[in-house]
Amino acid sequence: MFNLRDKGAEIWENQGRVGRIVIAVGAIAIVAALPFMGGTFLNTPIADYESVLVYPIAMFVLMAIGLNIVIGKSGLLDLGYVAFFAIGAYTMGLLGTKTGLNTWEILPIGIAMAMFSGIILGVPALKLRGDYLAIITLGFGEIVRIVALNLGALGRSEGILGIPTPPGFFGIEYAFDSHRIYYWTLLILILLAIWMVRRLSARRAGRAWESIRQDEDAAELLGVPTFKYKVWAFVLGASVGGAAGVLYASKTLFIAPDNFTLQISILILACVVFGGMGNIWGVILGAVILGYLPDRIRFLSEARLLVFGLVLVIMMNLRPDGILPRKKREKAIVKKDAS
Amino acid sequence: MSKSLIELKNVTMKFGGVTALSDVTFDVKEKEILGLIGPNGAGKTTVFNVITGVYQITSGEIIFDGQSLAGVKRYKITKRGVARTFQNIRLWGDMTALENVMTAADTHKKSGLVSGLFGFPISRREEKRDKARAQELLDFIGIGEYSDRLAKNLPYGVQRRLEIARAMGAEPKLLLLDEPAAGFNPAEKVELAATIRKIRDAGYTVLLIEHDMSLVMKVSDRVVVLDFGQKIADDSPRKVQDDPRVIEAYLGVPEDAS
Repeated sequence: MFNLRDKGAEIWENQGRVGRIVIAVGAIAIVAALPFMGGTFLNTPIADYESVLVYPIAMFVLMAIGLNIVIGKSGLLDLGYVAFFAIGAYTMGLLGTKTGLNTWEILPIGIAMAMFSGIILGVPALKLRGDYLAIITLGFGEIVRIVALNLGALGRSEGILGIPTPPGFFGIEYAFDSHRIYYWTLLILILLAIWMVRRLSARRAGRAWESIRQDEDAAELLGVPTFKYKVWAFVLGASVGGAAGVLYASKTLFIAPDNFTLQISILILACVVFGGMGNIWGVILGAVILGYLPDRIRFLSEARLLVFGLVLVIMMNLRPDGILPRKKREKAIVKKDAS
Repeated sequence: MSKSLIELKNVTMKFGGVTALSDVTFDVKEKEILGLIGPNGAGKTTVFNVITGVYQITSGEIIFDGQSLAGVKRYKITKRGVARTFQNIRLWGDMTALENVMTAADTHKKSGLVSGLFGFPISRREEKRDKARAQELLDFIGIGEYSDRLAKNLPYGVQRRLEIARAMGAEPKLLLLDEPAAGFNPAEKVELAATIRKIRDAGYTVLLIEHDMSLVMKVSDRVVVLDFGQKIADDSPRKVQDDPRVIEAYLGVPEDAS
């Protein structure tokens, strides 16, 4: 089968510095121009195309990158990832309505809150492995939602209303319906997250996560502080989820526990698995497709979710490792073939 | 006689009602190759597991480099200077040979996740240094040409050697080799014996578990024999070979002789 992942990596590796910059800038430009392509076949017939770009697509991409650190890189099955998204969103909702802080000031607080809860969950949970860890994280996701549902300060089932939009700068206004601006803001966050993951993957942390995923006992016996790096994976994954949550709340102006159900955790997990666990580009592609598809085929109305499910089943059968699987190819061999 | 690098003092390891090690006492001297032999189930790998902290011993004491290893976390034991290979190969298959060694070498890095993320100079320097050292180790062990290959795609013999290189990556004072020659043909065994001596000459202390008698007798300075969790001999290879208790443990005794 034609291997898109290896083809792409080959093109990238054969480029010099200039070539790489050209490719990167070109790719970013195309992605940034997506809001202007609403008139083409990309258009979503019923939902507002530009709003679909922001949520679910860009949000899913951001969260999938975060979850990929936990599941794809370190092999820790987290079924409660929505909790960090919710914590970011509620931090924004609460501080945005009760204090004078604006979105940009709340963003680092939201990220910090999510990271902190990552530690709270991670320290006890990461002593366990596999199925047990999955069940604990599943429980954590539900706990956060149920706390929001029952705590008066968080508005119970009515949630929080009237969350302020981010203040503009340089003449850019974040109006409720200026989806493009939100999209570009998310794009910047996504690029930051990609930078972070790529950076870490090439260094000690990436190797530690890889070794933990492949054989945790061997890793520990060869000097990898496994527990510490597992907590780090959780915390960094949480930080990305928290950032997404803050922007989500600031965009929708209204949040309620119903926005943070288990279904979101499962969908983001599906994005990661569908795209290709451990490969950041695969995960991004997976999130784009799974975010976009349900709205693209909305004209099918009732049959929509059935078709969506079928696509998932067929794809996972054809490509069980995802659309763009993790690294399988070896540099040295390619070099030898080329010479 | 040079001083002991590691001492096991009256070590007993029980799993429920089963006693895997019973009152085992021996030491490994610095720059020595100690062979640890015994029939199947004698407790050889258990010795490795208690030294590396996989199991907490039921009673007794393990002193490494002057300090007790009781209750020390596994990765910290490695950091103190004990690294091992595995009887059933446990490399990280999706990583290259070089990355396998570098991961173990990360043990002694001062820079961690944060300095790696922001590219602090110390992180770059350590990364560069360890990459060079990992390649040196692969060359040293004779598999330098495989450095960019994924571990799972390597031939069996190379994987066995990579296990050793990876353990050496953690800069151990004591290297524990768990049946490094398993599955090797006689020619490969001769080569491996030379490698193990080369490792010792480079300043490492080696504790070797091996089933192949000729290999153990050839490379070891001293041999400890375990049988049913008890030490039954501890002497030079020559004397151990002639020890009636050792022969009995391996071959059994004729019924009429007892």
